[in-house]
Amino acid sequence: MTTTVAQAGGFVKPNRRVFTVEPSRVRNVFLDLVRERGQEGFYVSTIVGVDLKEEGLIRVDYFVVLLPEEETVVFRTSVPRDNPVVDSIVDIVPGALSGELETHDLLGVLFRGNPHLRRGFFVPSDVAEKGVYPLRRG
Amino acid sequence: MVDKVVELPVSIEVPVGPQHPALHEPILLKAYVDGETVVKVEVNTGYNHRGIEKLCEQNTFYKDIFIVGRVCGICNTVHTDVYVRALEQILGLEPNRRAKYLRVVAMELERIHSHMLINAVMAEVVGFDTLFMNIMLDREKVMKAKEILTGARVMADYMMVGGVRRDLSDVDAGRISKLVEQVRERLSYYKRVFEEDTTISKRLMEVGVLKRVDAVRHTLLGPVARASGVRIDARVSDKYDAYDELPPEVVVRGEGDSWARMMVRWDEALVSAEIVLGALSKLPRDGSPVPDERKLPRKFPPGEAYTRVEAPRGELTYYVMSDGKANPYRVKIRTPSFTNIINSAFLYEGYTIADLPVILASLDPCISCMERAVVTDLRTGERRTVPFTQLSGVDRKWRGRDFYLL
Repeated sequence: MTTTVAQAGGFVKPNRRVFTVEPSRVRNVFLDLVRERGQEGFYVSTIVGVDLKEEGLIRVDYFVVLLPEEETVVFRTSVPRDNPVVDSIVDIVPGALSGELETHDLLGVLFRGNPHLRRGFFVPSDVAEKGVYPLRRG
Repeated sequence: MVDKVVELPVSIEVPVGPQHPALHEPILLKAYVDGETVVKVEVNTGYNHRGIEKLCEQNTFYKDIFIVGRVCGICNTVHTDVYVRALEQILGLEPNRRAKYLRVVAMELERIHSHMLINAVMAEVVGFDTLFMNIMLDREKVMKAKEILTGARVMADYMMVGGVRRDLSDVDAGRISKLVEQVRERLSYYKRVFEEDTTISKRLMEVGVLKRVDAVRHTLLGPVARASGVRIDARVSDKYDAYDELPPEVVVRGEGDSWARMMVRWDEALVSAEIVLGALSKLPRDGSPVPDERKLPRKFPPGEAYTRVEAPRGELTYYVMSDGKANPYRVKIRTPSFTNIINSAFLYEGYTIADLPVILASLDPCISCMERAVVTDLRTGERRTVPFTQLSGVDRKWRGRDFYLL
């Protein structure tokens, strides 16, 4: 892995390498991945958002499976809780669509540039109308 | 001289769902069609959001095993297996070989009946109801085998941190083997039916063709990806449980059409039957697979784990984060259908309505009747709307054919 903008940062059990990325460089990571490995060299398995209330952050983890060896690696970025904005990657990797839609609907992370982003995709409309993000902490 | 122009809507919206007629799934596929051809499909979910992830945050680690088992009725043992393995990673625990073998047997039995179910539904959707019922009848044998192993036909609640919740006697192992041998014979038969029956091949072949690169880019997983030539299988790459000693053969096909996806499932069910028979014939005897639940750790150390499992529908992943308290801080479930359904809207484009198998099963013609055409009178500039039923000739005054000849 020679992705230039990501830094090695520990492991998620079992043996999933973690790379930390600045939120503004997330797109570069995936552009690098496409350039280095090609369109068929990896897929975005899932996007996990975690509300870290005490630190005032929302952590967004991109779980990426590298092919053909099927190694799962994590690209980890954190955005401020009061203004959670990350650039969307759906134009680079369309498979990130479902993950971005969900992280937006349940945690309120705004993926800038994703045209399909809307409230009420997963949560019932009455919850969406109240402006509640169910997975935000208290 | 032309004095009237009919502006027909370029595309008509055909909602399929939210009570999905073919698969009983509360999802809405909004199909835009031009004539018979589907030009665009929008997927709308959210009719059944049960808040399982939130529920997991509010219950203890051990109670959550029984909550995640209820995410899906068909593949509940894989859900509990992948969650339990995440907990074992956080705790640094490992079950014995016998428990691992029994987990594999439970999960492979589940794969067989899940694949049989969807292939039966496919037979029903193309109008082959007898085949549907025959496959479902033989599926009962697998359900019986699952009952002998886990104590329940459907909701197994079989996995536990450190092992499984029931041991298997030698007599019962023999009963399961016998049932699986019978099912294996039927699986080969149905595989041949899907290969040779002209109705099935005409309805499924070259329908919904998925290219390899699209499967990877859009994160389509499991048999869908493998039918498009993507060699992925979490059982082989992660070697969890006993799959290091019972490696499955990865079934890959190149056609990428609907038929190939069903054939991959038949072949995989056959492979699963071999794994079950193999596992039962050399079941290790290194102690009881059932952990003493009173001795399991009460406290979970802080940590995070991300585990994968090859569910019948594809890679299923769980992310579990512990902050050292009694409940997990975050549980993230990513089911294979989550990406396979939401990201696959592009797959329908260019095929006909009848190729949306769910629409074929249950197209409600009233919905398209509700769309209106606009009629503009060029002499007076007057605009009126006309229902399609009138245009189609039910009302003689608005014979659609006459309009085009005006």
